Amino acid sequence: MDPGNYIILSSILFCIGALGVLLRRNAIVVFMSVELMLNAANLAFVTFARMHGNLEGQAIAFFVMIVAAAEVVVGLAIIMTIFRTRRSVSIDEPHLLRN
Amino acid sequence: MNLTSLQLPLSELPEEPVEALTGTLPAEAAGGYFPYMWLLVALPAFGALVLLVGGKRTNAWGHLLACLLPIGSFVLACLLLAQMMGAPVEDRLVTLEMWDWTFAGMFDVPFALRLDQLSMVFVMLISGVGSLIHIYSIGYMAEDPDRRKFFAYLNLFVAAMLLLVLANNYLLLYVGWEGVGLASYLLIGFWQYKSSAAVAAKKAFVMNRVGDVGLSVAVMLMFVTFGTVTFEQVFAAAPEAGDTALNLIGLALLLAAVGKSAQFPLQAWLLDAMEGPTPVSALIHAATMVTAGVYLIVRSNAIFDLASIAVTAVLAVGIITMVAGAVIACAKDEIKKSLAGSTMSQIGYMFVAAGLGPAGYVFAIFHLLMHGMFKADLFLSAGSVMHGMKDEKNMRFYGALRKVMLVTTIAFICGFLGISGLPPFDSFFSKDDIIKAALGTNWFAGVAAIAAAGLTAFYMTRMLSMTFFGDKRWKEEADPHESPSVMTVPMLLLSVGALFGGLFFVYVGDIVGWLDPITGYQPFVLPINDTVLEIVTLVVVLTGITLAWRQYASRPVPQQPPQQVSVFTTAARNSLYDDAFNEAVFMRPGQYLTRWLVWFDNQVVDGAVRGIASKVSGAGEQVKRLQTGFARSYALLMVGGAVLIGVVFVVARWL
Amino acid sequence: MIILPLVEPPPIELPELDWLLLGPMALVLGAAVVGVMVEAFAPRSSRRTIQLVLTFGSLIGAFVLVVLAAGSGGPVMASAAVIDGPALFLQGGILLVALLAALTMAERHVDPSGDAFAARASAMPGSEDERQFTARGYLQTEVWPLFLFAVGGMMLFPASNDLLTMFVALEIMSLPLYLLAGMARRRRLLSQESALKYFLLGAFSSAFFLYGAALVYGFAGTVNLGGIADAVTAQPQMSGLLLGGIAMIAVGMLFKVAAVPFHSWAPDVYQGAPTPVTGFMAAGVKVAAFGALLRLMYVAFAGSEWDWRPAFWVIAALTFFVGSIVALVQSDIKRMLAYSSIAHAGFLLLGVIAVTPEGLAATMFYLVTYGLATVGAFGVVMLVRDDTGENTAMENWRGLGRTHPWLAGAFALFLLSFAGIPLTAGFIGKFSVFAAAAAAGEGWLVLLAVLASAIAAFFYIRVVVVMFFSDPVGDGPAVAVPSWFTRTAIAFGAAATLVLGIFPQPVLEWAAQADIFIR
Repeated sequence: MDPGNYIILSSILFCIGALGVLLRRNAIVVFMSVELMLNAANLAFVTFARMHGNLEGQAIAFFVMIVAAAEVVVGLAIIMTIFRTRRSVSIDEPHLLRN
Repeated sequence: MNLTSLQLPLSELPEEPVEALTGTLPAEAAGGYFPYMWLLVALPAFGALVLLVGGKRTNAWGHLLACLLPIGSFVLACLLLAQMMGAPVEDRLVTLEMWDWTFAGMFDVPFALRLDQLSMVFVMLISGVGSLIHIYSIGYMAEDPDRRKFFAYLNLFVAAMLLLVLANNYLLLYVGWEGVGLASYLLIGFWQYKSSAAVAAKKAFVMNRVGDVGLSVAVMLMFVTFGTVTFEQVFAAAPEAGDTALNLIGLALLLAAVGKSAQFPLQAWLLDAMEGPTPVSALIHAATMVTAGVYLIVRSNAIFDLASIAVTAVLAVGIITMVAGAVIACAKDEIKKSLAGSTMSQIGYMFVAAGLGPAGYVFAIFHLLMHGMFKADLFLSAGSVMHGMKDEKNMRFYGALRKVMLVTTIAFICGFLGISGLPPFDSFFSKDDIIKAALGTNWFAGVAAIAAAGLTAFYMTRMLSMTFFGDKRWKEEADPHESPSVMTVPMLLLSVGALFGGLFFVYVGDIVGWLDPITGYQPFVLPINDTVLEIVTLVVVLTGITLAWRQYASRPVPQQPPQQVSVFTTAARNSLYDDAFNEAVFMRPGQYLTRWLVWFDNQVVDGAVRGIASKVSGAGEQVKRLQTGFARSYALLMVGGAVLIGVVFVVARWL
Repeated sequence: MIILPLVEPPPIELPELDWLLLGPMALVLGAAVVGVMVEAFAPRSSRRTIQLVLTFGSLIGAFVLVVLAAGSGGPVMASAAVIDGPALFLQGGILLVALLAALTMAERHVDPSGDAFAARASAMPGSEDERQFTARGYLQTEVWPLFLFAVGGMMLFPASNDLLTMFVALEIMSLPLYLLAGMARRRRLLSQESALKYFLLGAFSSAFFLYGAALVYGFAGTVNLGGIADAVTAQPQMSGLLLGGIAMIAVGMLFKVAAVPFHSWAPDVYQGAPTPVTGFMAAGVKVAAFGALLRLMYVAFAGSEWDWRPAFWVIAALTFFVGSIVALVQSDIKRMLAYSSIAHAGFLLLGVIAVTPEGLAATMFYLVTYGLATVGAFGVVMLVRDDTGENTAMENWRGLGRTHPWLAGAFALFLLSFAGIPLTAGFIGKFSVFAAAAAAGEGWLVLLAVLASAIAAFFYIRVVVVMFFSDPVGDGPAVAVPSWFTRTAIAFGAAATLVLGIFPQPVLEWAAQADIFIR
């Protein structure tokens, strides 16, 4: 199978993720959309590694997973404290900060 | 206009800046007092530092220290002058290298002072007049609770102004330029409890800012064009630069000069700046800072000589301001505003002279020097009057003050003689030189200069007679009295300068020969006989004096109680109708022009300032609205930005 | 049961580690790890002392190591990072900024109930828990390891030699900052909101960065910056992968430096975060991210500069104009400083666009001067308070120059430096960046920047006027008396701003010697 298809798939995943960030209101879902974008990048890395015939891209994918896990920890911690305060995870609700 | 094409390829930039600058003598080699010339700037700067940092502890003696330090600078300047006069002409340009600013390993800008004949003249004027005005301020500000701060700012100003004229490159000049702007701003707004003073300070700031942009653009253009901003190197490289580049630099410098020197179209701030204490008006807004624009143009003569468009623009600006300033001075009732109009007009003369090229540079500086003395004298006298009249500024409430303020009257008359162009006093030499140079180079400028000389005589006579002659029109609470000697002595010293400065510089100190090595001097041919021209000018001046005298002094003005101002005004107006000639020639056009200028100032200049301000903040409000507080809209903006970058990438590839 | 044949495995080759060059980063990150241990095992009463010793010890030690290492350099960790002149210069700058920021973070005399941080970040604002923690005078000490991790990330960021290391460094820097932003003791709701926004948008932008890195990897077959540069010069024809990659990486980086239109987070986060953190973030992130951006553009993508330059022209012009103009209409000091930092990002982009050694040196000098003044300025903001916390409404700063001349004087000095008034460090920095860009042929852009900085001067001077030329308000804010921590930070910032404005030569020279990236 043409590895180009995987690249197309990864770009579609990236766009779905970006749209999710723009359109969804639930902070958890927004956050999941960001993770989807990271995974899209991972797919691209792995595919390109295959196309170039080196392992660099595959190794990078592992690093990205670790970083993403760290991001989850931090993200959930922030979302949890906000949820405790406001009893809501809508990202539109907190907008005290503006001009 | 493509700025990128002006730029030298990096490889062509001088690898090592020329170490031994041609024609300059290192201060160490010059010996004598030259290695100490940094003290000129350091002494007043030290004073400002002590007073600002010392705080209330220095209240008791701060003003004395603040007076001593500029006097110290003046003494050193005198010693330097004596040494410079003793040196042969080729050794008069001395550079004191202090340290280097190397930008990004590429541009070497020495932090160096340069003392030559031109800066020597300025150093003498600034430290001399500055010292006198410091002394005068002891009396003038005696009762002000913030006197210490006032003296700190005044010292700061003197230091910055000396740095401005001693800099050996445009960047250091810019440092001084911003410094005097800051000090001027602080001092205009010194009486900040008056809202008018705060507004005036703001206006001065805005308009000076416009000029400062001109200077920073000029400095940038020089870097791009020449790869250096040192005077010697820029002037040496100027002949090889392109026409466009030189004209652009010249116009940018002119913009800077116009802002600082209150020339058309950035003149409006100077009238408002009169809200500051009078010593400030005398020192900063008459004798020194406002003439920095003239200094800048004359200093850059190597550029202007090659930039025909820019030099014509200088001449045009000068002619417009010379006439308009005089007209404003004719119609203002507040004594300081009238003097401010006069300052604009006289600096207009200097711009005219500078706009004539090598024929006029010397005379611009000559007149600047004379103006520094007689205008400082006039301002200090006016300040003395206001001091005695409980800060009354309106000349319609003056009159007959000669009877109570004899010394002030004498000082003012000396200033009057100095400015009006009567022989053998200051302006008779300096202004006539400008008129001659103008007629010899550009007849229109010459005729305008003669006309402005008539207007000068008119408004000065008007001021003199309304203030010191005629009848008393004082307000009841006014208790006019002579000022203390700490104020009158500086006035009298300046009076001497106003009377005999011209004689001195023509017959004793040869100003033309002195400045020639720096500015170059090119003799011109007058189209008419020298003596005839002098007589014509004198007749115009005398006509102005006579008309004004008839109008404001020799007519009996009914003694009016101060609360009936409008009656007095009506009477004055009626008498105006009697004299059809006066009205037709001076008053009505003057009033119209003034009214028009006021309108122009309010609607167009202020309008532009306000308009730009409101446009800018309007745009700010618009953009602000994007800041909704919703994280998702921020994300959308980011995606928009990503798309924008992508589009520009593709477009750039296509083009 | 499967018995694996006993084969002698090939020896694993460990990469050479140059401990002198790695030392500064290793020290800071090591101290951060120890700090986490301290949080777990040390008794509450001694934690603050231990953490402060760890923090200041490691920062000062790292700074000494940076100074010792100056002049040497080379790739480290199997070329994952490279410690060269620019990296050391920027690491030194980051450490200085971090030291000053740590001083302001350690302040606890200003707020009557403790320091700037919530006693327990997880407690609900206004809850009984929180009241108890506050009443017992508990101090948050978890901020210190988080802070050190962020500093370590910042130090690695401009030294990264491949896109992966850069991504990891970016996250090490950012993740602790997201948390720190949400820990303000006062106005918790605003603080938490700013943390959420910063986190979500930051994660969004780093996804862009990562996808861009994937595309560039697809183009070049390597993520090593030198390797990418070779691939770019070897393949001059248009490549969608490369252009798309550069664009998306640029989005990620421009978000971190707060360039328009990726700036919207900055005002909100600057306002909501605890002020010492804001100062640290505004200064440190800017230095680190610009360092990384410079390395990317100068090393990896210099070969295709004519592709990305036009886009950067647009972004730079947008950034300095929007930043300067919107700052004019702000009424909150912290927001005003946020927009000012956006405008500065625009000016700094001129140095990136130049792509010359002079541009690099000038930008680095600018970054350091900007960073020191920024930390100092936010240190001052910390001190002007009323009952509910800091008072950042501009009208309440009226007359501060009369009542507190020294404090207002220091703030005025920082503002004048931001405005680029001569004899302050900001003037020298701005001038060298403009001159370098002009020399690189960016005349028009420099003209626009001069215009924008003229506009920018207005709002800085406006604050100076408010402080010195207006009468104090009757029941205006009180100025807290700080301990020597904050005093030192403000005084050092002010002194550096002044000294670098008058005698900039040594630092300018150091920057000029460090004006080449090692590939």
